[in-house]
Amino acid sequence: MTSSDSNSAPTLADVAKVAALSRLALDPDALDSARGDLLAILQHVANLQTLDVEGVEPMPKPQDTVNRLAEDVPGPSLDRDVLLAMAPKTEGHFIAVPKVLGEGGA
Amino acid sequence: MTTGLTKNDIASTRLIVGLEIHVELSTRSKMFTRAANPACPEFENAEPNTLVDPLVAALPGSLPVMNRRAVEMSAMVGMALGCSIAEHAKWDRKNYAYPDLPKGYQISQYDLPLCFDGAIDIPSASPGADGGMRRIGITRAHLEEDTGKLSHELPGGIRYSGSLVDLNRAGTPLLEIVTEPDFDCAEDVVTFARELRSLCRFLGVTEGVMQKGHMRFEPNINLVIDTTDGREFRTPVVEIKNLNSFRAVDGAIRHETERQLDEFLSTGRVMGMGMKQTRGWDDERLVTVLQREKEDAHDYRYFPDPDLVPVEMDEAWKGRIRESIPELPIARRSRYREEFGLPEKDAFALIDDQGLCRFFERTVDAQLAATNPPSLREAGHESAKLLLNQMAKRANESGIVAHEIGITAEQVGELLALRRSGEIPTQAIDRLLKLASESPLSVVALAEANDLLVVRDEGAIEGWLAEAVVAQPKAAEDVRNGKDAALGRLVGAVMKASGGQADAKDVRDRLLAMLRD
Repeated sequence: MTSSDSNSAPTLADVAKVAALSRLALDPDALDSARGDLLAILQHVANLQTLDVEGVEPMPKPQDTVNRLAEDVPGPSLDRDVLLAMAPKTEGHFIAVPKVLGEGGA
Repeated sequence: MTTGLTKNDIASTRLIVGLEIHVELSTRSKMFTRAANPACPEFENAEPNTLVDPLVAALPGSLPVMNRRAVEMSAMVGMALGCSIAEHAKWDRKNYAYPDLPKGYQISQYDLPLCFDGAIDIPSASPGADGGMRRIGITRAHLEEDTGKLSHELPGGIRYSGSLVDLNRAGTPLLEIVTEPDFDCAEDVVTFARELRSLCRFLGVTEGVMQKGHMRFEPNINLVIDTTDGREFRTPVVEIKNLNSFRAVDGAIRHETERQLDEFLSTGRVMGMGMKQTRGWDDERLVTVLQREKEDAHDYRYFPDPDLVPVEMDEAWKGRIRESIPELPIARRSRYREEFGLPEKDAFALIDDQGLCRFFERTVDAQLAATNPPSLREAGHESAKLLLNQMAKRANESGIVAHEIGITAEQVGELLALRRSGEIPTQAIDRLLKLASESPLSVVALAEANDLLVVRDEGAIEGWLAEAVVAQPKAAEDVRNGKDAALGRLVGAVMKASGGQADAKDVRDRLLAMLRD
């Protein structure tokens, strides 16, 4: 989150931006409430950051396992009808969504 | 803002290009799940949305497990590009919401890529290249997963007003290779792109079919502009997305070179003003076009993927991968040129396919093992000619590669030996290729059994010559009067009379001697 980098509390505009990136349509009340939640989360993280972790190795995972690898052998697919039945809308053998030309990421 | 400058004020411009390349790996299953991979030829024709399992569809409870083969293929490419291979690489989530990505994030490698700090030397067209070669630095090569495909047409070309999602490609292993900005001309970028395709195909890590999107190129382009009054300006970097042909790579860079200078002259915009621009390539109008995008679309909020454990490659594992890497295309091509005197084009064609290239080398060995072996150079030359002409023609008819027509390297060796010693006429080669492709017998035995050996019986040959002269009196008369062009008809008549068992060159010499002396 951009605001946490500068140690300032997220504004409503910050929350609206994150909501838009997450494709969430939030009304003003929900935005306000989400801002409250985010403030609480950031405060908690800020508390954690006051701890002295000098000499403590970062631990991104709770266990030391590495290299859990699968052999390259194809397995079963979902039945297409089962997959398409989960989509809100379909067209032929495709999942149909509103037009999204020109937006998005990579 | 304008610069007040015109083209007359420009002393020189220098192009700077770095390249990102996405390579779809041809593993049989996907990167983090065992649904089948459409970049593998076995599954490339799958119906839409049939290569989807619970993980691809992001169903609750599904967890990713990485594909060992994809990791090994990536390390192999990294090693071939002179990269260091990370002892410890991890996976990160790149978050963005888009319908071709059901999970809402792409699994990628952010700060600890599998391969980094490499370089390869390529033949260069740049005037500044050292000895005709240029070293291109490889910043990194990391593994990630491809997205699904969006289209806007239903089968049969019917336009659809929304977007249609096919998730078959979602989760295909994708190797992203990033170069340093070491290119200064479009030709070198294309050379590098071709070399990389050749390398990846040779290593067997991708089919490399450009039209199918197996390799996609994204150049980052800007210019250094020097003015006549001694100032230097750098234009903002522009990224061209998703180029999937060498022609598009070349065209987009050339167009950007001109467009960026024009834009600088009219706006004065230089590097550091605003964010990086993303453009696409219009293949019909041959121009780059600005892509509409949200300004904050690049706020990906990367964080380590908690569902995956890191990859740690120890020396033993790296050693096994290193041992499996064959002599690479650039080195092999240069050896073919030196040892066999092959033209660059032929060397490239042989090395396009690892199977073909290995077969070629076995046919050379087979020739050299014969009783009266040719020189190494001659053997290479003859094998290449046969493989790239007659055998390739036969293979093309069945949509396969020359070495797959069913003939063994030993049979090729025998065939070429027979031709060298003049025991078979040139026109029998096609016939013998067909016979050998259907039979395990030696080519000598096949030639004998099918009357394809050259007849050395003086009586028979003299008889065919006389017969031809009688059948073609006008041609015979023309040859007597010095018209060489008429010889062909007489030779043809002799070959017909002999049932193809005469040696055309010998017949030609004999006819000349008979009619001119």
